[in-house]
Amino acid sequence: MKNIQLMSGIATLALVAGSAMAEEVRVYNWSDYIDEELLTQFEEETGIDLIYDVFDSNELLETKMLSGSSGYDVVVPSATFLQRQISAGAFQPLDLDQLPNHGNLWGAVQERTDQYDPDGAYSVNYMWGTTGIGFNIGQVTEILGEDAPFDSWDLVFDPANMEKLAECGVYFLDAPTEMIPAALNYIGEDPDSHDPDVIAKAEDVFAAVRPYIQKFHSSEYINALANGDICVAVGWSGDVFLAQLRAAEAENGHEIDYAIPSQGAQMWFDQMAIPADAPNPDAAHAFINFMLDAENSAAATNYVWYASGNEAAQEFIDQEILDYPAVYPDAATLENLFTTTPYDARVQRVVTRLWTTIKSGQ
Amino acid sequence: MTARTASSFFVTIILAVLVTVAYGWIAGILTWWVVLLIAASLVAALYLLPHRLRREMGRQTLIATPYFWLFLLFLVPFGIVLKISLSDIALAIPPYTPTLKDGFWTMLAGLDLENYAFIGAGAVFAAFVGLVALIGMFRVVYPRARRAMMGDARSGLFDSAAGALTALAVAVVNVALLVAVLSFLFPALAGFVDIPDFLYFAAYLSSLKIAVISTFLTLLIGYPIAYAMARSAEHWRPTLLMLVILPFWTSFLIRVYAWIGILSKEGYLNQMLMSAGIIGEPLTILNTNIAVYIGIVYTYLPFMVLPIYAALEKMDDSLIEAAEDLGCSALSAFWLVTAPLSKPGIIAGCFLVFIPVLGEFVIPSLLGGSNTVMIGKVLWEEFFNNRDWPVASAVAVILLLILIIPIVLFQRNQQEADQ
Amino acid sequence: MAQPRPDTVFAPWDEPDAKPLIQFKNVTKRFGDFTAIDDLTLDIYAQEFFALLGPSGCGKTTLMRMLGGFETPTEGTILLDGVDIGPIPPNERPVNMMFQSYALFPHLTVWDNIAFGLKRSDMPKDQIGDRVEKMLKLTQLGKFAKRKPHQISGGQRQRVALARSLAKAPKLLLLDEPLGALDKKLRNETQFELMDIQETTGTTFVIVTHDQEEAMTVASRVAVMTEGKLAQVATPDQIYEAPNSTYVADFIGDVNLIEGTVEVQAKGAKPTDVSIKWSPTETPIDATSDTPPPAASTVTFAIRPEKVAISNERPEAANVMEGKILDIAYLGNISTYHVEVAPGLIIKAQATNNRRISRRNLTWEDHVYLSWTDTAGVVLTE
Repeated sequence: MKNIQLMSGIATLALVAGSAMAEEVRVYNWSDYIDEELLTQFEEETGIDLIYDVFDSNELLETKMLSGSSGYDVVVPSATFLQRQISAGAFQPLDLDQLPNHGNLWGAVQERTDQYDPDGAYSVNYMWGTTGIGFNIGQVTEILGEDAPFDSWDLVFDPANMEKLAECGVYFLDAPTEMIPAALNYIGEDPDSHDPDVIAKAEDVFAAVRPYIQKFHSSEYINALANGDICVAVGWSGDVFLAQLRAAEAENGHEIDYAIPSQGAQMWFDQMAIPADAPNPDAAHAFINFMLDAENSAAATNYVWYASGNEAAQEFIDQEILDYPAVYPDAATLENLFTTTPYDARVQRVVTRLWTTIKSGQ
Repeated sequence: MTARTASSFFVTIILAVLVTVAYGWIAGILTWWVVLLIAASLVAALYLLPHRLRREMGRQTLIATPYFWLFLLFLVPFGIVLKISLSDIALAIPPYTPTLKDGFWTMLAGLDLENYAFIGAGAVFAAFVGLVALIGMFRVVYPRARRAMMGDARSGLFDSAAGALTALAVAVVNVALLVAVLSFLFPALAGFVDIPDFLYFAAYLSSLKIAVISTFLTLLIGYPIAYAMARSAEHWRPTLLMLVILPFWTSFLIRVYAWIGILSKEGYLNQMLMSAGIIGEPLTILNTNIAVYIGIVYTYLPFMVLPIYAALEKMDDSLIEAAEDLGCSALSAFWLVTAPLSKPGIIAGCFLVFIPVLGEFVIPSLLGGSNTVMIGKVLWEEFFNNRDWPVASAVAVILLLILIIPIVLFQRNQQEADQ
Repeated sequence: MAQPRPDTVFAPWDEPDAKPLIQFKNVTKRFGDFTAIDDLTLDIYAQEFFALLGPSGCGKTTLMRMLGGFETPTEGTILLDGVDIGPIPPNERPVNMMFQSYALFPHLTVWDNIAFGLKRSDMPKDQIGDRVEKMLKLTQLGKFAKRKPHQISGGQRQRVALARSLAKAPKLLLLDEPLGALDKKLRNETQFELMDIQETTGTTFVIVTHDQEEAMTVASRVAVMTEGKLAQVATPDQIYEAPNSTYVADFIGDVNLIEGTVEVQAKGAKPTDVSIKWSPTETPIDATSDTPPPAASTVTFAIRPEKVAISNERPEAANVMEGKILDIAYLGNISTYHVEVAPGLIIKAQATNNRRISRRNLTWEDHVYLSWTDTAGVVLTE
């Protein structure tokens, strides 16, 4: 990712210096979220210069969106954040005429994303996934034994397990909108509750295991898992697979896997959208259309191991991935997955404050 | 209109135009060639003015430049932050209300102190005032009072009054400190001093604690280094000095990242200690306060070493010999002569470390764990995670207020050292 | 010289029974390859004002620093009151030093500077104040007690340094170029002050200086040093009047040095008479020596300019030389005439200007006669 940032930095400089008015598109996406070969392929096919930057938290992206003048043409927020930002007026409606590949989208996913962005007026799905648990099979088995509850939230929310796991290291996502619903779901409450009193119950779940959590971070767990610095992380499916891949490439003996806990997990959607003040909306549409192409979309999924919101792409996706329930859950698991809706400002403050309390113990 | 007033008038206009153009350029309203055009016409207009007026303007611009920078780089951003801190959060672009779009007077009317109340600024402010009172008491009131009590010939009405005032100040400050300390120790008492959310006050205190401890640690490590440098052979000193400054040649971020590689569970430190057989199990250092202290001490060490070295280096070696000659052992010569003479360097070094560490954000966020609470990190979280610009701004304004104390003290120390 | 003389002559070095305070016994000090002090033996007696004189690099400072304890001898021993002080660290020696830079503690007041050493000693607190006051009085610094060193003048600083080093009433006070930083007038005044204080306190002073006039003025004995060795140790008048080598003669004051060979003694001459052939054509110089060198040996005849008389007419004297005035240095009270008596040999003669300038009859290019008695100069074999 560093290389891309560097390249984009140089590209920006070159642009400022040369001020050539060549068409360009600036994309702001999650870190480790694309096959980088697709980027060169896009430039070759369209002749549009691509500047690709990455972020690792929805909050950071939202700060940029709400400041205005971000300079980006395409951004990829998660659906819950997208909804807030749409109501703040941060995005422009999509011009479907410029998106001939729009028909490739998967109806089953669209149904779910419509609750955030009715009729998909502002966004199309890039990828979707679940928030579950990544773990180092060897280390966890060594500590908790063969019958470790790999497919249960007990692994990370049961203090008895966590106390032992603290020894090898546990990271949680630094994302209250992911973690609090998971905790509410674990204690049998409505994960999408907007009632502050219900939300407050999540605190006890975290307080019990807080001493054993080494860090709250939304991207460092990939490398930490891969290096064996930690043995368990609550994280996003594809990120854990990336850790799996890196560990395998490094041949360091760490075997990483991901599970959707049996109690259910949050299903999330990352949506491509165009900021209202995008400097180059046409190029933005061209990029989105490029990514909606069945083969391109499949290439991305084959690389990052997240499920694609593109139905036509399934033809080109590795069978291994399609058969992997942790990525494409079976019907029974799908039943257990839940979605959440954004909080209003008042509840948001309660949630974020609660999260600070949980994290800092203050 | 005299040349002086005329030139002030023109200088103001030109500066105003420059600021506007700069803003227009940054905001993307003006393209580069428009900026160039305006600049060119400004220069042309200048040449149309009479020579004398131009010279007077040149002189005034020279004097005005530092003030202009102060205004542009400090007061304007501070004003903006202050304004945002008085606003309310909103789901809009920008994410606060009211803004200038609502009209100037509506905006002014919409400002309030709600955010300051939210972060418990009252308590912070009380502590701040208490501290200022304490310092004032020791530096101004107390010496006068002592003189009055000692019956110095010069003691007058003012000094006797100061004696009474001291007693009063002591009482007030003690009560204030007691309340602050008690409410810190027992969060249940927080209600008495009206702190709706104890997080911010605790974060300030935690930052203060981390800053004090790491300043002390930096001094502990930095002083022997500076001492060794100052005592080394003269031809070695430039090399040693270079070695201390050398780390500045690489990016600060890269150096902090390097510590992640050293301190992590599978990092070099653990590997080394384990292969040496010192430890059996890898130590967890990364993501703890220990890692934060290591990072801070490492990063700020040159700021401590350099001023102390400067103080020690200009010290006359014969002073130590004189002390020993007069009956001091090597150790007492150090305490009675070297240490007091390096005091200005120690104070300068401590402030140079303490002030930036108090607001440090990068090191705790990269090396620290989630229970490392520092105000810089809270500020970041308030801004990026909670996206609550108004509260983040209020936190920043209070931080600045707190930093004023050490900055003023530092300034005084520098002035005294110059004399 | 302005040597104040007590009623009884103070000369313990001439008394065979006197016990020296300090004894250097075959002391050698090397820094790497460099030999700073070379097998030196020297006795210094209690209550002496002893000057170490020599050019820079002659080892005089090293010698003093060994007394202070800041250097240890490479070989040999140093005894103080019969005790070997080699292993004693500086802070335990009954010796104090006044540094060339004064080394006043800049963060302490004059009062605290003087009290510094006392506070480190086992002197009871209530006596310290009295002692400091006494020192302030001795050095006339009473008014400046509360000032910091940077708030007083150079001369006052010098006195603070002196007061500080005397406060502990050391057996031995070392002074390293104590007046070097003062201007000439202040230096002259302070020299006498130093002597007064030395007499009042009865402390043994060892002073290091490169200024021969200062050494001659203050010291009871002067040691002239060169290259780590003692050239001569004697009272100032002896050093001046009877230098034992050309080095000492040349180093102290102005001198005419004439090389020659000793002639066979004429019949009827006293045993102490020496006749020196210094030129094939000119008359030999008649001189006397307590230890006349053998005939035909090479010697140097040294005579001070003030002992050479100058006149227009040939005077009656043991030694008379003819010459031409090349140069006249007018110094106010005296004038020095440079007279060429033979090709390449210039002899300096001094005359007191007891007449007004217009009445003086000697001028450039004048043909003059120089004359001196046979006891006016010394014959040096070294």
